[in-house]
Amino acid sequence: MSDAPILRIQGLEVQVAEEDLPILKGVDLEINSGEIHAIMGPNGSGKSTLAKALAGHPGYEVTSGSVEFRGEDLLELETDERSLAGVFLAFQYPVEIPGVSIANFLRTAVQAHLPEGEELDIFDYSDQLIERMTMLDMDVAFAERHVNDGFSGGEKKRNEILQMAMLRPKLALMDETDSGLDIDALKIVAEGVNKLKAEDPEMSVLLITHYQRLLDYIKPDHVHVMVDGRIVQSGGPEVALELEADGYKVFEDAAAETARA
Amino acid sequence: MSTALTDIGLMEGVTEAMNGAAVERVSLGEPEWLRERRIHAWDVYERTPMPSTKLEEWRYTDLKKKLDLDSLRLPETEAAPDDPAAWPARLRATMEEDHEASGHIVLVDGHVVHADLIPELAEKGVILTSLHQAADEHAELVREHLATEAVPAEEGKFAALNAALWTDGIFLHVPKGVKLDLPVRVTRSYTESGAAYFSRVLIVAEANSQVSYVDEVISDDFDEQTFASTAVEVIALDDSQVQYVALQRLGRRGFYQSVQRTLARRNSRLDTLNVAMGGSVTRVDLSARLLGPGASSDMLGLYFGDEDQHFDFNTSQDHEVPNTASDLLYKGALDGKSRAVFRGIIRVHAGAQQTDAYQTNRNILLSHGARADSLPNLEIEADDVKCSHGATVGQLDEEAKFYLMSRGLEEVQAERLVVTGFLGEVLAKLPLGGVVEKVNRVIEQKLSQHS
Ligand SMILES: Nc1ncnc2c1ncn2[C@@H]1O[C@H](COP(=O)(O)OP(=O)(O)OP(=O)(O)O)[C@@H](O)[C@H]1O
Ligand SMILES: [Mg+2]
Repeated sequence: MSDAPILRIQGLEVQVAEEDLPILKGVDLEINSGEIHAIMGPNGSGKSTLAKALAGHPGYEVTSGSVEFRGEDLLELETDERSLAGVFLAFQYPVEIPGVSIANFLRTAVQAHLPEGEELDIFDYSDQLIERMTMLDMDVAFAERHVNDGFSGGEKKRNEILQMAMLRPKLALMDETDSGLDIDALKIVAEGVNKLKAEDPEMSVLLITHYQRLLDYIKPDHVHVMVDGRIVQSGGPEVALELEADGYKVFEDAAAETARA
Repeated sequence: MSTALTDIGLMEGVTEAMNGAAVERVSLGEPEWLRERRIHAWDVYERTPMPSTKLEEWRYTDLKKKLDLDSLRLPETEAAPDDPAAWPARLRATMEEDHEASGHIVLVDGHVVHADLIPELAEKGVILTSLHQAADEHAELVREHLATEAVPAEEGKFAALNAALWTDGIFLHVPKGVKLDLPVRVTRSYTESGAAYFSRVLIVAEANSQVSYVDEVISDDFDEQTFASTAVEVIALDDSQVQYVALQRLGRRGFYQSVQRTLARRNSRLDTLNVAMGGSVTRVDLSARLLGPGASSDMLGLYFGDEDQHFDFNTSQDHEVPNTASDLLYKGALDGKSRAVFRGIIRVHAGAQQTDAYQTNRNILLSHGARADSLPNLEIEADDVKCSHGATVGQLDEEAKFYLMSRGLEEVQAERLVVTGFLGEVLAKLPLGGVVEKVNRVIEQKLSQHS
């Protein structure tokens, strides 16, 4: 673990594009290379909005603040360029793409991540796909299914991690990957993430979750609490345990107080 | 006098090129029964008014604007020799892409210039030949089915015109119990700008037989409006299985007009796929009649419009006896200022209980200028049936695009995947060798021009 910040978010304000609806109201967050951070917070507090804004979702507009990723201005990059730069978003609600097989889609994605002029070796690619699917305890035949089309909740989440494992990001934003997974699946997915982390200790992870359970498997260095578009507390793993015991009430009251003031 | 007659819809569409004398000319040297049939058809044509937008089925295709019959000539090109070296380059290239086949027919400018069939199939009695020739050599069969029960002249203005003026076409007859493993491939090429081409397809699959038929129409862009008319008659007898595929890849200023009717007898399965990619105007009238218990029809359609292309599909699913099934799925993508109309009706006739009939039309619009109208319809006169219809017109799914781009795909790649996936559902249901690849290539080509 080094101290070079991989991600530096300063005063980030985001609204729903084309509507004057502010959602993030000044987020500051710094993640060092190789660190695991967790963000927790009540429903609707803006966690997914943060993740999507970082991935470049066109529906969200950054109105103020800055995001530096590995020393570069992330906000200047298009969605696909962010992916190529090493940002990966595991969606809270993965999107269905009827008619497009996972194998075909992933091949295109892996090819896109190769340096310019380099052709994908289809045999290497298949070997890697099979290896990753095995790691995540997925049936290889699954690769022929259409992306998220008719998948169960758990299958969708596992498929997100499969993509992450194939694309090997520098920064993984995992938005409620645990929701929808059964206990065994959660363990398998968490082990997969830990294995990726072991392969590349420089990889940083931002986990968004509601539950301590995930954090038992993927141990965070820092835990943040987001309420009403702001990070209201940051600390070590103990923060998550306190939340588990006390809930968000004290933060929400304080936020309401700030809003009134 | 002709002014007065056309005022009441009579003699409409009688032109310098298309008239009674032209009918006499095409029937020269033909058997008398055929000549009579042509003259009858011409008579129907003269008495039938030109379809106008006042008719529900023609509401969105204004022939006054889309078709200039007066400017059309009958083709003058002589039949090309049976020698690929003498064929248009595009035709040769298209045929090279083709996979193995049970047999081929090649038409150049309306004439059959080549026909072949695996000898073993010929020995089993399969007939694959020029319709013109078949009218002589297999008069019994042709006389029984040609423009009688499937697409008679009375079917409409264009059916009548076609029945009067067709120059050639395809006759495919599969005897009882004979199964063709590979598809029959027909390739037609049109080269004469400003011409009106009329051809017919007659497919008869006897009991227990099995055949797939792929008919591809191609041309370069034309300088003037060029009219390609086809009448398609497909008859599937008891327990037979037939697949009919039409692939339309005409050049611009081509007007593709096709009347297709399929007759499915007891326990037969008669599936169709219409792919329309080219031409400036496409009008397909497809009617599937389910005539014997246990009969079923899958009706698939796929279209991709750009620039000012206009597509009009008019379909019907007629369930005339109990216990039959039909399932229609038409999907299209529309770019530029292109436009598609889908109008489909499911008719469950009185007493046709245990009918399963479905109809779905889905469109995605890739530009603000594109438009799709979808008009599904049901007419049900039985009570124990399962029927549904649905239609959607939507934009490209932005969430899907974001999802793919977040994995590193460029915007155009992402759009391409979403669109090919969307249309691919249709092809996946009838994956005849070679057709999927061919259609995907055209889709990719069109998408690469999409901005
Ligand atoms: N496109 C949008 N249009 C309108 N409102 C939106 C949009 N996107 C987000 N919001 C609103 O912004 C707020 C934050 O949403 P977000 O999805 O970021 O919450 P979250 O913290 O991820 O919640 P959860 O824990 O339930 O997943 C919510 O009130 C949500 O309704
Ligand atoms: Mg969320």
